[in-house]
Amino acid sequence: MGAEMVSPPRSAPTRAPEEPGEPEGPDELADVSFSLNGSMTALRVPVRWTLADVLRERAGATGTHLGCEHGVCGACTVLVDDQPVRSCLMLGVQADGSSVRTIEGVAASDGLHPLQRTFHEQHALQCGYCTPGFIMLALGLLEREPDASQERIRDVLSSNLCRCTGYAPIVRAVMAAQAEMRR
Amino acid sequence: MKPPPFRYARCATPADAVTLLSEAGEDAKVLAGGQSLVPLLNFRLARPALLVDVNPLEELAFVREEADGALCIGALFRQVALEATNLGARWQAITDAMPRVGHYPTRVRGTVGGSIAHADPAAELPLLCVGFGARFALVGPAGERSVEVDDFFLGPFTTAVAPDELLTRVSLDPPPDGAVSAFEEFSERHGDFALVSAFVGLALVDGRCSWCRVAIGGVGPTPTRVPDAERALADSGLADAELGIAADASARCCTTGGDVHCSAPTRRELVREVTLRALLRARGRLTDRMGSKA
Amino acid sequence: MTTALVRTRAPSVGLALPRVEDDRLVRGDGCYVGDIHRPGQLHARIVRSQVAHANLLAVHVEEARAAPGVVTVVSGSDIPGLSEKRIPIRLSPGQLDRFALQTPLALDRVRYVGEPIAVVVAVDPYLAEDAAEAVWADVEELAPQLDPVPGHGAPLLFDMVPDNAVATFETAHGEDVDDLFRHADVLVHERFSVHRHSAAPMEPRGLLAEFDDDSGRLTVHGPTKVKHFNKRVLADLLELAPDRVLLVEPDVGGGFGPRGEFYPEDFLIPWLAVQLRRPVKWMEDRLENFVALNHSREQVIEVAMAARHDGTLLGFRSTGWCSLGAYVRTTGHTVPRLAGIHMPGPYPWRGFSTKFVSVLTNKTPLGTYRGPGEVEATFARERALDLVAAELGMDPPELRRRNLIRSDALPYRVDTGAGSEPLVYDSGDFPAALDQLLVAAEYEELRRSQAARRQDGEAVGIGVACFFDQGGIGPFEQARVVAEPDGTFTGYVGVSSIGQGVQTALAQILADELGVDVDRVRIDHRDTDSISDGTGAFASRTTSFGGSALILAARKLHEVARARGADVLGVNDGEVTVEGDEVVTGNGRSVALAALGCEAAATFESTHVDFSFGSAVAVVSVDRPTGKVTVERYLGHYDVGRAVNPLIVRGQLDGGAAQGLGGALLEDLAYDDQGQPLSTSFMDYMIPTLCELPTVQSSWSEHPSSGNLVGAKGAGEAGIIGTLAAVANAVADALAPDGVIVRSSPFTADRIRALLRGSDAPMSVQPSQVGAG
Repeated sequence: MGAEMVSPPRSAPTRAPEEPGEPEGPDELADVSFSLNGSMTALRVPVRWTLADVLRERAGATGTHLGCEHGVCGACTVLVDDQPVRSCLMLGVQADGSSVRTIEGVAASDGLHPLQRTFHEQHALQCGYCTPGFIMLALGLLEREPDASQERIRDVLSSNLCRCTGYAPIVRAVMAAQAEMRR
Repeated sequence: MKPPPFRYARCATPADAVTLLSEAGEDAKVLAGGQSLVPLLNFRLARPALLVDVNPLEELAFVREEADGALCIGALFRQVALEATNLGARWQAITDAMPRVGHYPTRVRGTVGGSIAHADPAAELPLLCVGFGARFALVGPAGERSVEVDDFFLGPFTTAVAPDELLTRVSLDPPPDGAVSAFEEFSERHGDFALVSAFVGLALVDGRCSWCRVAIGGVGPTPTRVPDAERALADSGLADAELGIAADASARCCTTGGDVHCSAPTRRELVREVTLRALLRARGRLTDRMGSKA
Repeated sequence: MTTALVRTRAPSVGLALPRVEDDRLVRGDGCYVGDIHRPGQLHARIVRSQVAHANLLAVHVEEARAAPGVVTVVSGSDIPGLSEKRIPIRLSPGQLDRFALQTPLALDRVRYVGEPIAVVVAVDPYLAEDAAEAVWADVEELAPQLDPVPGHGAPLLFDMVPDNAVATFETAHGEDVDDLFRHADVLVHERFSVHRHSAAPMEPRGLLAEFDDDSGRLTVHGPTKVKHFNKRVLADLLELAPDRVLLVEPDVGGGFGPRGEFYPEDFLIPWLAVQLRRPVKWMEDRLENFVALNHSREQVIEVAMAARHDGTLLGFRSTGWCSLGAYVRTTGHTVPRLAGIHMPGPYPWRGFSTKFVSVLTNKTPLGTYRGPGEVEATFARERALDLVAAELGMDPPELRRRNLIRSDALPYRVDTGAGSEPLVYDSGDFPAALDQLLVAAEYEELRRSQAARRQDGEAVGIGVACFFDQGGIGPFEQARVVAEPDGTFTGYVGVSSIGQGVQTALAQILADELGVDVDRVRIDHRDTDSISDGTGAFASRTTSFGGSALILAARKLHEVARARGADVLGVNDGEVTVEGDEVVTGNGRSVALAALGCEAAATFESTHVDFSFGSAVAVVSVDRPTGKVTVERYLGHYDVGRAVNPLIVRGQLDGGAAQGLGGALLEDLAYDDQGQPLSTSFMDYMIPTLCELPTVQSSWSEHPSSGNLVGAKGAGEAGIIGTLAAVANAVADALAPDGVIVRSSPFTADRIRALLRGSDAPMSVQPSQVGAG
């Protein structure tokens, strides 16, 4: 071994590399167009791709995170027609004609949304992986039910999992944002 | 954890759906809310050749009380909408149960018909159907047919819906006037499938139980009525001892063995306890009604 | 010419500053490994063993190679020299490790469900998963060995490892334990077991590797925790010079111990990128995460403990068996070794002995997880103490109060025998800290309320646990501080960010040492190029060691700046001082550090280990008919040495406790009797939601560590260590009227019901086995 070994040998049997993006294999493709954070987005995607993968891999919305891909953790929560849904449990093709909102569209042009600011102030995030899902969940709730009780907020927030904070700061952040959003 | 390949078709009418299902044969699956089916796809435990997306069928998103008092719910009615529907006292088991069906975001997408057709033995909605009694409208190539609840749930994740049929609505049998109902379940974590669940419906005439229903879920291949429990309560004064006998009968009905979450003996104990709690809750509601009428 | 202003800058250390990390993360602008895309990237999918123990006769990849979109499929026989490519140990080696190291792909035998046997590379992750299903193996199944305490004749995982006992660690201290037992008034003896559970970070792992033919360099995105060690291992396994390998740390969705160690994939994905000359990405899914990421905790610990009538603790003996899984991984035998070290706890024993054995089992390999071995040892010891207290009829906190090492005895040194480092209890006031916690918990009122609720038939329990936490271990950490042309400062560190808030806390330390505002300081921990070496983020050492290295580097930077500044200003070194971002002369002339282009690097080295004290109180209620345990309150008090950022410290302590409560109540990596894992989804591995957790109340004291320049003793693990013990003692207290003995975790409804039915019979064990042999 040594520094002079600039190009290590290849030994794995390989086939000629495919061009990326070339449709291949058994996948049926479909045209899908939806509003993503207010901008019309038109894509041709395999019908089996989840909405989460379409958002992340094709629409560049990587703030939507995958934590379990079976609908338990809620890290992939986005708003579809203003309601919070698990984007790992919806096919991308099903978003056709709908309005999809993700964490990238939450901040106002002049600064953070109250939820984003209160999550920061209340130390409601550590690793930050679950944070976009929690913010979208809370946003979906508070837009629809601005006067939601603490009990209701806790019940809804129990939809998503966080491994860092123990949840108490998340509840505090959402309560603080609610007070601000009502003003 | 990516779904296996399938074809996808969106249908515009129930007839459309049936045509698509008929053409595809056994390998087609109806995609409604997707909250049970898509996890199965992601786990690759389901491998349909074709998904028939019925979400455009907005005419199936309804709830209404029929002339005979039955509660008729369209298959595409979202769970979150049923949760928000103001139902009368006799349907209170539904109000008890709906907040326990998954979580808010899964109820946003999840449909009443989807959960019923999925027929998870531990799910809340199938138990409500068994508890109240229900008829299911299935549309197939030969038209519509109606299936009674006793003939509907055939086993775990198995129903009378044929591969070329679509469940379009369910009608829950009306409890008698003055009846109450209640639902209880036990799960380790909020929002999880219940380890066991219980439905109780009660009515009193002259201090005697004139109508009773006891049904339990998570305890066998399908939700099931507990005839021994109902016999113990029928015509009784619903005293503590009688409720206890009914709860004991429920425990005897539990045929599910142990799994990672719960050993068989614990499950039997839980069935007894959860049934008892549902009974107490229902009896409390009866008492409250009497009180308010007095 | 103006007179130099005297700068009055309040120190930022000690301030609860919201984190600098947050802005990107709350906007969705974080960059986790899955968010990185490279043109032409390929997607790998690992094919894993479906059986727990089998001879691997053949792996058939032909069908998969022909599948749509597939670029290559590789099994063990396709990687030259694989049998020599064994993943080495980073910490805590044992006696027979050389026989039980893992190769990145299985060769002729599989030893756990989830063991990699092949890799598929395709143009998209869906097609890769399709093809992976077409790989199949011929196997000859063998009986699995699943018992942490295997009997004679149990199947062997490796012929060269008799009884599957791959390592044994012993400590001994003070007087002869048998002698102490003979003269004891009270002797308790019990066997405790801790169930298998682990970190389950919200983000599964991922890697993106690319090889640049022009420069001959390999870049791997995704590593964390111990990047420099991993870089050396990878270079060695790939037979590349270390300077050809760059590891880049993205944002990381939770570490907690398991993430960032060198796993089979950490070789396979870079190797494929080198072979294919194309970027290769691998994203672990949640099912894989549950069989691939290190498990932890599973141990059986026997304790015999002696005391006098007045509660004076005399001695104990403990024997532990740790179910290490199928291979010895990078963290070696840290878990059983630390369990042994932590058995004495914060009490002055006249004598003790411990023996911990690492036992190979046909399960996912076990490694460190937040509070490794410490959680388990604390559970066993504090449970035994409660049994002693019960024998004596003494209130459990009183037994501890009478025995805790007193502050006038500090530093308190405990020699633990040849080949074992002594324990040195550095600073603190343990009894005062316990009392402070009990006051905060309103302990007396809790007892009164418990009595009243018991009268009403409720099962309510109060559990107390004391512990010490070994943290801040060496050997070294590096830092490099650069005065940037724009007037800011960058501190490069070799530690890692796994979501704790490293950039904020270390910036506070560096800003204070530099004498500048914290918003002009940036911490960079991203890659292995910007700093030559580092130890990493584990053992609650990031702030203490990373911070100390930054302090040294900042001091050196000031030396460099004085020399250069004096030169520029045309005066002698002795005539200038550094004031914040400027070098100034006595008569007020100055030059900005930014203009001097200076930087300095330093290494902080220490063999000192902190043992910080902690205590916890849990209040639980048990719903007897269903067995459901509710933790009503949880309080912890810890000596953190120094709280650099109280907001972050509270987050670490509260979050650690919450994670521990999940482990105590719900989380269980169970297996069936064939070695099939039963918890491979978030439906079956039950991470608590907010409905299952109380609001944790953490508090701390600050007795600065003498072992580092920051004074911090670490907060990352302190919060979790007492959780299992305190909850177990509370459950035991709640069910004391039912006459049950709490020996094993977790405290799920099912387990509680089994206890109440009396079907949690103790494993048969003879007293002579304790510590014998």
